[in-house]
Amino acid sequence: MHISQMMTVIDKLKKAFSLRKRHRRQVPFVVLFKTFQGLLEKNNRILDSIAAMGDKLGGDYVFDKNYVVSSCQEVSDLVYKLIYDLDTIAPGKYLDLYDAFQRINHEIEEELAGRPVIARADYVIPFETISRDSGDVVGGKIANLAEVGNILGLPTPEGFVITTSAFKAFMEYNKIWDRVRQESLTAKVGKEIRGLIAQGSLPPDLKRALQKSTEKLQQAAGDSKLFLAVRSSAWGEDSIHTFAGQFKSYLNQPVEKLVERYKEVIGSAYSPSATEYRAKKGIAEDEVAMGVGCQVTIDAEVSGVLYTLDPATLEREVMVINAIWGLGAPLVSGEVPGDRYLLSRTPPHEVEGLNVRRKLTMLSPKEDGGTEARSVPDDLQMRPCLDREEMLRLAEMALVIERYFKKPQDIEWALDRKGQFIILQTRPLNLQTRMANLVCNLTAAVQDHPVIFRGQGDIAQRGVGAGNVVIVRDDEDMEDFPAGAILVSKYTSPRLAKVVPRASGILTDVGSPTGHMATIAREFRVPTIVNTGKATRVLRPGQEITVDAEENVVYDGRVKELCYYEFTEEPFEESYEYRLILRVLKKIAPLNLLNPREKNFTPGGCRSFHDITRFVHEKAVEELLNLEFHERNLDAPAKRLKLPIPLGLLLIDMGGGLEESAAGSQVEPAQVVSLPMKATLEGMMAPGMWSTEPMSVDFGSFMSSLTRTFSSSLATPKYMGQNLAIVSKEYMNLSLRLGYHFNILDAYISDEVNDNYAYFRFLGGVTDLQRRSRRARLLAELLEAHDFRVDVRGDLVVGRIKKLDAARMVEKMRTLGSLVSFTRQLDVKMVSDAEVESTKETFGRLAAGEVPERN
Amino acid sequence: MSDDRKTQVLILDDEPIVWKRLKPALEKAGYEVEAFTQSSNAMRRVQEKEFDIVVTDLKMEGIDGMQFLTEVKTLSPKTEVIVITGFATMETAKESLQKGVFDFVAKPFKRGELLEIVKKAEAKVRQ
Repeated sequence: MHISQMMTVIDKLKKAFSLRKRHRRQVPFVVLFKTFQGLLEKNNRILDSIAAMGDKLGGDYVFDKNYVVSSCQEVSDLVYKLIYDLDTIAPGKYLDLYDAFQRINHEIEEELAGRPVIARADYVIPFETISRDSGDVVGGKIANLAEVGNILGLPTPEGFVITTSAFKAFMEYNKIWDRVRQESLTAKVGKEIRGLIAQGSLPPDLKRALQKSTEKLQQAAGDSKLFLAVRSSAWGEDSIHTFAGQFKSYLNQPVEKLVERYKEVIGSAYSPSATEYRAKKGIAEDEVAMGVGCQVTIDAEVSGVLYTLDPATLEREVMVINAIWGLGAPLVSGEVPGDRYLLSRTPPHEVEGLNVRRKLTMLSPKEDGGTEARSVPDDLQMRPCLDREEMLRLAEMALVIERYFKKPQDIEWALDRKGQFIILQTRPLNLQTRMANLVCNLTAAVQDHPVIFRGQGDIAQRGVGAGNVVIVRDDEDMEDFPAGAILVSKYTSPRLAKVVPRASGILTDVGSPTGHMATIAREFRVPTIVNTGKATRVLRPGQEITVDAEENVVYDGRVKELCYYEFTEEPFEESYEYRLILRVLKKIAPLNLLNPREKNFTPGGCRSFHDITRFVHEKAVEELLNLEFHERNLDAPAKRLKLPIPLGLLLIDMGGGLEESAAGSQVEPAQVVSLPMKATLEGMMAPGMWSTEPMSVDFGSFMSSLTRTFSSSLATPKYMGQNLAIVSKEYMNLSLRLGYHFNILDAYISDEVNDNYAYFRFLGGVTDLQRRSRRARLLAELLEAHDFRVDVRGDLVVGRIKKLDAARMVEKMRTLGSLVSFTRQLDVKMVSDAEVESTKETFGRLAAGEVPERN
Repeated sequence: MSDDRKTQVLILDDEPIVWKRLKPALEKAGYEVEAFTQSSNAMRRVQEKEFDIVVTDLKMEGIDGMQFLTEVKTLSPKTEVIVITGFATMETAKESLQKGVFDFVAKPFKRGELLEIVKKAEAKVRQ
């Protein structure tokens, strides 16, 4: 059924469903379980589809808009049917899910139809809250800079942006739009418009917002008087078109002058040169929208411009720094030449040219606002503005920015009085056509370098990076991770996150392209290949290599032509299809409902399709657990499994899961023939896995366990410790409440390889958040080491694996069974990070069949 | 065909993203690539020039992929055609294979996969 048709009948269905309430629990048991199984199957298909869509972000795949549309439809269709299944199991109980579905589905359809749901933007936004998608609202220049500050974490000026929404409000409030929309914007009309803008007044809302923002900055500045640089940030400025020097900007302005300067900056959008530029580039007048950035003045000791690839000496492949004393304006405008340093693009960035010029004057901020030229003291005139260490620091920062934007960059920077570099602006250098010369002999260059491996593993983030190999084995290796190196690691551990922005590339032995690490790599756009199987074994520390995460190849040596070739391509991340799938995934993939014991775990709290899926899965299992097998005369009686470990487990056989001899209310493990169940039990009962040593729980943990329990709706006596397995010959669904953990295993194993899967979910536990997240990390790393695809959100861990042959699936189920037993009380133990490592080793030894020591 | 000449590849897909992502991958692998979004333009081009390998979508506005590949095979039977499509059915797969198509790839696909197929097609052309 098509989605839109589906929507029209939803209300009718809801009405019909509410009638079913009266017949609650009349559903025959067999139907109930068939529905449950169907629900689980859909659950898995949804997770698969979401993961498959997520994979497309890595850049390995070629896909088009049709793919995005049909994937959304598929997921939407499945989620809808999933809700229907839950309604069959618990008629009328979760009807609000349809509203959640309708809301999310509508948002996705709007995105696909090209009508992105943008909330009307605030008039003033502080830099630190600007997100990647706000380009339209804050203008190109500020959007770029905000990414440098907020994503890459490099120092940028403090301040706020007066948004394009504010610009439009101003133009409407003062009734200037009509003049702008005139057929031809002549010089005379332009002058008139500038006059109207200068006389215009700010809409009251904007005035208030502006006042609030400057007050906040003043508070941060303390006793010293606040001065701001007021700079243009128009639509498309610095990204698609440069508009270089078309608009006005003002340095070191006192707050009292802010409104006047603001009007002058937006007025400069109608200067003759700006109008002419637009006419030449085919930009319509009503496409003009001016954001204005207000940055706290930086009292720069040195300022300058850095090109990460010097256009003047392209064939030398160096970066160039121009630097002067004081503020940078005279250098940017070309009034004074400044020092010129050429640096190698590769670490350690040797100086390849040093041209120190005599610097007679410098621009400085005036005490009462504005700027003034001062003469440079004699001893500084011929001194280089930057020393070697400073050049190196600046070079490393610049390459972090270049790697992220995937184009050579033109960067304005300042060195403040505390010796900190601050990025003032960055934009791509337009070298596309000239770059072609650098890559003309690409094929030959590629053939000159031996391939270390090819087609191993999965691309998590596309791109090309070259550098020296650094193999990271523990936390210590990360402290001095050199900028620009290639990070090589066995696992894709979340703790590697802190070095990711410094790496030119990442290779791991295991891991999945949807894991946490891959998400971080994408955040910083660092070329990453995971799951190579052998990177740590075949690469030597210090070896210079090139990671081509476009074609999934690792070369020996630095294939610089490949790196440059990448500059000539339109970055995949900038393509319409990439942005589209990213936007719809925001409504599909994020998991916000983590903990069933929290207040937001409701249909109304569902903000994505993943949330709905998770909610339905949780509730379906809960409904089954609530069936009260003993008290009610059900047609599929539960049997108690006799186990050598203290685990009360009820088992329901849907068919073929138990030996036919298994009659009565109790069964022996040996009578279990369900393939996944049998393997899980074997793993659970493996020697040493079920730890019997008593755990000392400290007082804090104990208290936190109490509060968690009592606030929980699931803590009713009949529910605690209720463990249930539903099995058939090929299937198992196991729900466990071990201590305070919630653990679900769901698996299907048959001879049909494509149908096989295993799903593992773990949540909760006594003790503080830190220990719980350590345990989550441990679980994630153990699961990844066993080839599971792992997702970690807080202390929720989800591992999935599929399409292995029966023998290997059985092996995985044994591992999962062992993990269940092994991690039962682990969070209590997890007092330090070191504990994670040693525990991991212990599990490895036990899993390999080593018999545990007895103390 | 002499070995010093680069293998000539034509890509036709009405979604520019498809050839934008394919062209660089093929160029890096040493192929000379021309890409088209309009099937009529691609049709004109194959009438002017013989390509070794043609990669085409099936479902497009105007001249559809099936028509295009039929024409290519008539003009130059040696040219190997690789079909890429987002709407793969058994029927279209069968029909295109009957027309002598080298391979049939469902979208979305990995760039590496397509590159492998192009290499195999190249080996066949160069036999």
